[in-house]
This record gives sequence, structure tokens and C-alpha cells, in this order.
Amino acid sequence: MTQVNIRPSRHNLYNTHIIPVRFEYFAPSSLEEALELLNKYGSEAKVLAGGTDLLVKMKMRVVEPKYVINIKKLKELSYIRDEGGEVRIGALTKWRELERSDVIMKYFPALYDAVKAMGGTQIRNMATIGGNLCNASPAADSAPPLMVLEARLILASREGEREVPITQFFKGPGKTVMRPDELLKEIIIPKPEPGTGSAFIKVARTAMDLAKISAATAVKVEDGRIKFARIAIGSAAPTPVRAWKTEEALKGKPFTPEVIRENVKLVETEISPIDDVRSTAFYRREVSKVIVEDALILSHERVVKGWMK
Amino acid sequence: MEEPKHIFIGKKTIRKDGIPKVTGTLKFSSDIYVPGMLVGRVFKSPYAFADVKRIDTSEAERMGAVVITPDDVPDKIFNPRLVSIFEVTYKDYRVLTKHPRYLGDAIAAVAAPTEEAAQRALEAIKVEFERVYEPILDPFEAMSPSAPLIHKRILKGDEWIDVKNNVGCTLEYSEGDVDKALKEADVVLERRFRTNRRYHMQLEPKTSVCIPHSDGSITIYSTTQTIHNTRILISQIFDIPMSKINVVKVPIGGSFGSSIQINPVVPISVALCLKARKPVKISMTREEDIYDHAAYQMHFKIRAGAKSDGTLIAGELENIMDIGAHQIQAYPLLGTALGWFVSLYKWKNIRYVGKAVYTNKVPTCAFRGYGAPQVSWAVETLIDEMAEELGIDPVEFRLKNYVGKGDIFWGQGPTVKSIIRSDGVPELLQRGKELIGWERRRPPSEKTGRYRRGIGVGRSFHTSGAGGPISGETIDYTGAILKLNEDGTIDYITALQDHGGGTLDAHVKIIAEELGVPPDLINLVWSDTQTTLYDVCTHASRGTYVGGGAAVQAARELKNKIFNYAIRVLNKAVNQDMLELGYDKELGQAVVYVRDNPQMRITLKDLATIAWQRNWGTISTTVTYRSKAAPPSFTVYFVEVEVDTYTGKVRPVKVIAGADIGTVINPDYAAGQLHGGFAQGWGMATLEDTIYDPRTGELTNKGFITDYKILTAPDMPKLDDFQVIFAHTYEPTGPHGAKGLGEAALNSVAGAVANAIYNAIGVRFYELPITPERILEALKKKGR
Repeated sequence: MTQVNIRPSRHNLYNTHIIPVRFEYFAPSSLEEALELLNKYGSEAKVLAGGTDLLVKMKMRVVEPKYVINIKKLKELSYIRDEGGEVRIGALTKWRELERSDVIMKYFPALYDAVKAMGGTQIRNMATIGGNLCNASPAADSAPPLMVLEARLILASREGEREVPITQFFKGPGKTVMRPDELLKEIIIPKPEPGTGSAFIKVARTAMDLAKISAATAVKVEDGRIKFARIAIGSAAPTPVRAWKTEEALKGKPFTPEVIRENVKLVETEISPIDDVRSTAFYRREVSKVIVEDALILSHERVVKGWMK
Repeated sequence: MEEPKHIFIGKKTIRKDGIPKVTGTLKFSSDIYVPGMLVGRVFKSPYAFADVKRIDTSEAERMGAVVITPDDVPDKIFNPRLVSIFEVTYKDYRVLTKHPRYLGDAIAAVAAPTEEAAQRALEAIKVEFERVYEPILDPFEAMSPSAPLIHKRILKGDEWIDVKNNVGCTLEYSEGDVDKALKEADVVLERRFRTNRRYHMQLEPKTSVCIPHSDGSITIYSTTQTIHNTRILISQIFDIPMSKINVVKVPIGGSFGSSIQINPVVPISVALCLKARKPVKISMTREEDIYDHAAYQMHFKIRAGAKSDGTLIAGELENIMDIGAHQIQAYPLLGTALGWFVSLYKWKNIRYVGKAVYTNKVPTCAFRGYGAPQVSWAVETLIDEMAEELGIDPVEFRLKNYVGKGDIFWGQGPTVKSIIRSDGVPELLQRGKELIGWERRRPPSEKTGRYRRGIGVGRSFHTSGAGGPISGETIDYTGAILKLNEDGTIDYITALQDHGGGTLDAHVKIIAEELGVPPDLINLVWSDTQTTLYDVCTHASRGTYVGGGAAVQAARELKNKIFNYAIRVLNKAVNQDMLELGYDKELGQAVVYVRDNPQMRITLKDLATIAWQRNWGTISTTVTYRSKAAPPSFTVYFVEVEVDTYTGKVRPVKVIAGADIGTVINPDYAAGQLHGGFAQGWGMATLEDTIYDPRTGELTNKGFITDYKILTAPDMPKLDDFQVIFAHTYEPTGPHGAKGLGEAALNSVAGAVANAIYNAIGVRFYELPITPERILEALKKKGR
């Protein structure tokens, strides 16, 4: 019999009946207080917003924070404000509120698609947009739409605020540019210039699932030619990514199915998919091209045929 | 064909547990709480194949927990399923083990006042391992002579047997001369198939509550399909007389076969309870439950031969079952798998080799259909290919060769056989063809473009119970008690469990039909082992057929006793045989009257009151019942799918779900079974599997259902595109002509789906599930 060195399973540590982790709990009542706590405990703390990612990870013992800072009481971080040229969304805004917002639906079809595709109603009632971003999953449904919509994020800390374009926000699975003492406060989405269409397509195992592969696009066609085409892919690399080269290649070209099909082949070179429990690298590579093409066509169709009923 | 008029049977009614379920007031085992109750947690092996050297419980005990190790439990080897007779029961289980054979085998357990305290105590247990072996995860590797033995010795009945090549049990069978027939055949096909290893994903994870009493007796509440077998097993393991064990029937949140066996949490909770002398509850988390049971994974090789006129003349099946670390009902399944094979088509010459092989994986057990979904998928795929090869319409080919009326049906392997007396297959195939639009079906070669549609047919059946006139290797009988209350209402008492399908509501309707007492005046008693007669288990789609049969017999006996009393009050009536009992619509209750003289009558209510007031005694009846046959319920699915050849995604477009279940007792529950059966079958065909890390033997999803998806309503066809049809048949041996349905509703789905996918894209798949990944790879290979 071969005796081997095998890593033991950690499954005796899992217990989803409870949160099997000891931690100190804070529920600050103001942003100032929250930032103070983050300043003090940041590196050993986890911020609790909707909890749909954090609690699962704690039950799975993937994270065992010493401190949990529940920011649910910070009502001032939950809003959707139409400010003319841009829309500001508080980081604590729930997905269900995005789903019910005429502003989101009207200006940001790609984001609206993503909202409809994320979880079920119960999850959308709990989960926040800020949480989805800060969790920094390569499969985060909000990331590709916000990337093609060129959103900017406001990060706050006791030292003040800074603005980061979303394309520079993600650093790896579960990793962002945020410092331990920072909190995501706001997402700013500029309204796309008139004539821009956007869409988000997600391929998953079932209707209620994490993405195997996802893509968002925003495109503007002028006189039959592509003025710009923005493309972002989820679940195909350590972070959601923009397909810069493909975008560049499409620029100025006629918007025809043949041109698009030919050029989206480049997408394959801009991603680095892996085999995992949800899908295969082969599948992701193949299907990324398909859904980018589909999303580009759908984006443009929404301009031509109209988007809102 | 007899089609009697019914008053209650076939009518839509609200099920008795409907309002409690919808309002959340129904109490399941997981909801039970008793004062002073401790929470139990199980220490599961962190290795797939290892031997324990030492277990240090001191820290956990210092924390105040009650701890048990293999040294604290009886040194008994058992099989947790008691449906087969002793002689063919293979035993390799222990309550707790020092020799874990899969990553999840229970090594120790703790009990503490709260879930948190129990969890901390669990984490404080230190287990030192003597040896850790490389897990054996492939059954063919397991059978190689150089593979280490997962179990060296196991018990068959009371006899020790040595395990060779990790083969837990075998079954071989032959009939006629297969080799000769294959030589004579004009077309011979040989195919290998591999099924997936699905998890049951029943709503309620396994739970057990054990309560000790001062007289040394115990009471158990658990998620079980059989309260009586639970009592017998606990009695055998712990040497407690059965009269000191009471197992209470509690509503169960689904099962799909995963609690035919007594789940490991039950004996563990008893052991903890006996040591702690306090009530102990163990409720598995979903993550633990997924490490508790899975469907039998089967590797088939089929060889079949047919003459050019479309007559099948040979069928050979090799069935290698990857059973995982323990035997639950592997041996009887070797028989039923053969039974399903021979009962699908008239092969005429048959040869079968079945082997159940141990691997270091989650133990497998019955999963809705007990091998029939697997066998039917493979056979229906092959039959479709054969029809194509012969140039015969697949429906015609099936009609020509299927096993139907007058033929022998193997309800539960070689020892449970009966003659088929009711057969709706021709009707279902004909109507299904019309409804799906079979004439639209074109060969795959004619299909182009991104989205391609295909139409497929799949047929199967399931048995209704495992009874019959001959006592075979399977135990199958039940009991029923009926009691006429002092106001003319009825108490109905049975041990038979309802998994959620509405089985007991069917019994109530049958009793109502017999006695004329409306269903809402019949009380369904939630009872226990001490006040019910033995029932083997609610499995094998026997709930309506066998349990309903007992209900008929009990009701008829009760009726006779009612007539004995009625004759005393209907004072001019002299002939008891001329009395009738029926429902009076105007009065809304049952009435006894004299045939041909209906004005001579008394309500059952008045009669019951008189019997009480005049000291005549209670009218009641107790029956123990074994059915006379185990007839097949046939199902036929016609499925239209649409394949996106760019993403490999398959969408169900239209479904015709046809079932021959004899008399339909509850039409909407029956339709519900077919909707649910399709959903589960679609999952089997296109989605579900449990995957193991080849190095560690751990599930790659680590037990978390984030990565074991099942389908939900949005994945299903629209209701308008899903049509249920019932054949117009009557089963002479069934209660009011009824047969079972639960499993048949699933069994034919995967075959129909696979054939529809083939018809869309021209690719046959011999491995389940047929995922978008596999479809896309196959299309790429084929060049789209």
C-alpha cells in the first residue's frame, strides 16, 4: 500500500448552521466612525455590507476576520442620484434598488442586465453594489458593465477621499487597490454619450448561478462606423478585464456582423481563463468571443430599435 | 377496460399538509427541540483512505462536551438498509470507524449544549493517523489485482466473506445464446456508457433526535422513509429490545431514496444520547449531507443485435457500479439493473455481468428510479441508434420490441416478477407523437445555423412496489389501521411515510371512495412504531400501490363490520350482503342503506353514535397487507430541445410527459411528479455531477452547493410548453386500478433528452452529464 502525504480536508471546520468564527463586532452609526474603526483595525477587519459574500466565506472558513465592521446602519451610503451628466450610486445601495431604478434602466442597460442576472430576489434584497465590487471576484456581475460604462469609484479613509477608475480597481481574485483603512463610498457612472448602446451577457450553469463567463459591451456607431466599442470580460482572468486590443481593432471599422466576428477573435488573446469547478479554459475561450459578439450586436440594436419599452 | 365512476378519486383537493407547509407551521425533524437537548456534531475523516492510530478527546471533554469514539459504540457491523432478507444483506458499516474509507466517514462525535459549543469541541478533537493511503477513485483501478483492498472482510448475512479486487458483490445471469444470436444479427451495436454521480439535494438535510427516558427506553425522531426499519436497526446495533425503542413518524423534507437506509446520524445520535443520558439532536449541514449519499454511478457496456426487419435478438449488459466506500443496496441493485434491462425490450437472448466495486468515495444509494434512469438512458440511446442503423422510425422500433401486456416484468430484480396486465405504452407513444409534432422531425444532417432544434423520445417505467405472490429476496408488506370514531369520522393509522408526494392523501381518497366518508373527515394520524403495524419502507414507488392496497383492504373490512352493526338498526333488513355504504352529497356524509330500498338508511354518524351509546364497542380494523404483484408504470417523454451551437447551451423547448399509472388518484399531484421528474431528469442529462479531487478524494465543491447546482423554475420550459398526458388504463391488481409514479416520472427523461440533442446536432454522448462544455468540444471535433 502506498502511504502518501495528503493534505487533510478542513471540512470539520465548516458549519453553515452558525458562523463558526470568533470575532469582535462593530456597527458604526456614521461614516466617520466607520472610517475611524477601519483606521484602527483595517488589516484584521472585514466590512460587512449585504453579507451575501462575507458570511458565506466566514462559514466556509475562507476568511476568519478578527473584527467585523457592519456598515448597514450607514443609510447615507445608499442612494441613486441623477446629477445631469453622471449618476452617483452609494456603495451600500442594494441590487434590488438598482433593479427598480428607472435611472439605471434608462442610461445603463448593461448594468441593468447584470442586475437582473445576479442571484434571486432574496439575494438582490440583501446584496449591495459596493460589496460586489469589493469582494473582487473575477465573476462579479457588476464589474464588466461598470468597466464599459467607465465608472469611477470614490474611496474614503480618515485621510480623505480619492477617485479610482474602475479599470484600475481590481488587482486579483479578492484583491483590490483599496488600503485596509479605506471604504468604498460611491460609484460614479458618467451618462454615455447619446447614441451609445450597452449590454451584458452572462453564461452560467443555471439561471441562478455565478458566471462561467460574462461580457459587457458599450458601443457607438456613427455613419455606419464604430466610433468606439468598449468590451469587458468577467470570469476569464484573475480579475474582470477590458479587451483593449479588440476595442482598438474595432475602432473606425464598419459595424457589420462580419467585421465584428473577425475582430472579436482577438478577445482570446486578452484573457487567461482556467479550468475550474464551474467550467473549462477551452469553453471560456470559445464562448468569450461568442458573447462579446452577441453583446456588441445587442448593444447596437438597443440604439437602433430603442431600449426602454 | 373498466372505468368506474368515482366520487373522490381523480378529483383535485387540497392536500392535508398543504396549509401547514405553506404557512411554515409543519414541524420537520430539523425543527424539533426538547428541553435540555444537546447538539451533536460528527468528526468526519479528513482523509479518503486511512487508519486511525489515536483519538485524543481530552480537550473536548475538558470543554464539557460528551464525546464518543469507536471504543464507545457497540462493535457491530451492519448494513443500514433492511429491505433485503438477511441472507443477501452485505454489511460493512460501523457506527464510528477507525478505518475511514472515504473523506467523510464518521470517526467520533461530540454533544454539547449549543451548536457553537459542539463545534468548538469538535475542533478540539485530535485524531492521529497511523497510515494515510492514496485514494482509489476509479472502479477499474480498484479492480486491478495490485490495488489495495478498501475492505478486506465484510459480512454477508452472518457469514464473513473475503473481498477480492474490491468487488463488493456480483451477479451474473444468462438466457438463451447471446453469442450465437449476435452472429445471426444483421446489425450489432456495442457501446460503453458512463453515468454521473448525482447528489440527491433533497430539501431537508439528514437529522436525528434521540430522547432517553428514565425507564431505559428511547424515542427517535429522524428523517426516514421507514420508521420500523429504523427501530429494528437501532435495536440490533445497541441490543435494546424493540419494545423500548419508539420511532416517531415526522414529516420529511424530501428524500429521493436517500433515507431508505438509516442515515449515519441516527445511530450516532443514539450513541451520544445513551452516553449523555440527555436528548441529542444531530442536524447535518448541507455540506455534510452532500458527503453522506450520492446516486449509484454506473459504467455500462452494452452489446445488442437485431435482424434487418427490426426484431431485436440479443442484448448483453455489463454493469460496473462504482458504489463508493460502503454497500447500502448494491447487491439488490445488481438485480434490478438487470431487471430494468430485460423489462425494457425483448432481447430474447440475454447475458449480464454486474459488479459492485468499492472506491474511496461517498457511499452511493438509491436515487429516484433505483438504477432505471441510468439503464434507461443507455438503452434508449442505443435503441435510437439501432433504429437509425436499421432505417426504422424510432417509435415504431420501440413498439415492435418493447416488453408490454402479457409479458413478464421484473419489478425488483430476478426474484420479483409479475405478468404485465395494464400497458399504456402504445397509447402514450401515439398521442405523444401527435402532440410533439413527430412528423416535423428531420435528421440532424439537414440542420444548419447557430440554433438547431431536435426532437427525441425516451421511454421507461418503474415498478409499483416489490410485492407479489412469491416471497423473494425483498421484504415488502405494510399495515393499516382504521378506526370509526364515535361521530362517524375515521382515524387512519399507517407507518407508511410520505416523502412529500402526497402518498397519504392518495390513501385518504381511496378510503373515502370505499366508505363514502369525505376526505376531510378522515384523520391522517402521524404515528410511531409502537402504534402502527410494520411497513417496510416508502420506496420502489409503492406508496400508492401497496399502501393504497392496504387501505382498500382495511376499508372493506371496516365496511363489513359497519354492516354488522347497521343490520341491527335497519330493522327490517335481513340480508347483510344487500347493504351499501356511500356518500350522500346532500348530507355531506356517509350513509348505510339497503340496495334497491335506498329509503331504508342510516347515516354513518348516527350509527357510530348508537354503537357508542349502546355499548356495542368500537368498529375498527387492522390489516397487514402484501400486494399480489409489482406492476410497471410506464412513462414516455417526447422532448424538443434547442442547441446553441456557439455556446453549447441546450434549452428545453417543448415537453410531452406521458404516464401510464392506471387510475389517476390525484391528478394534480401526479402532474407535479412529472414536472419534477422532468426537472430532475434534465439535471441528470445536462448538468449534475459530483467531482473528486484525484489526489485527496475530496469533492471539488467541498460540499458547498454553490458548486453543485440544480435547476430552478426559470430553467424549465414554460408551463404552456409542458404537457402531461395520462394513459387510459386500469391495473387490475391496484387499488381502484392505480399504479405508482414517483420514479417512473424521472426514469425516461435523460434518454429522451439525449436523443433530442442527437437529433439536433448529430452527436451521441455516452457520458453524463451532457454539459455545454462537452457539446462545444464535440462540435469542434466534428467541425460543427
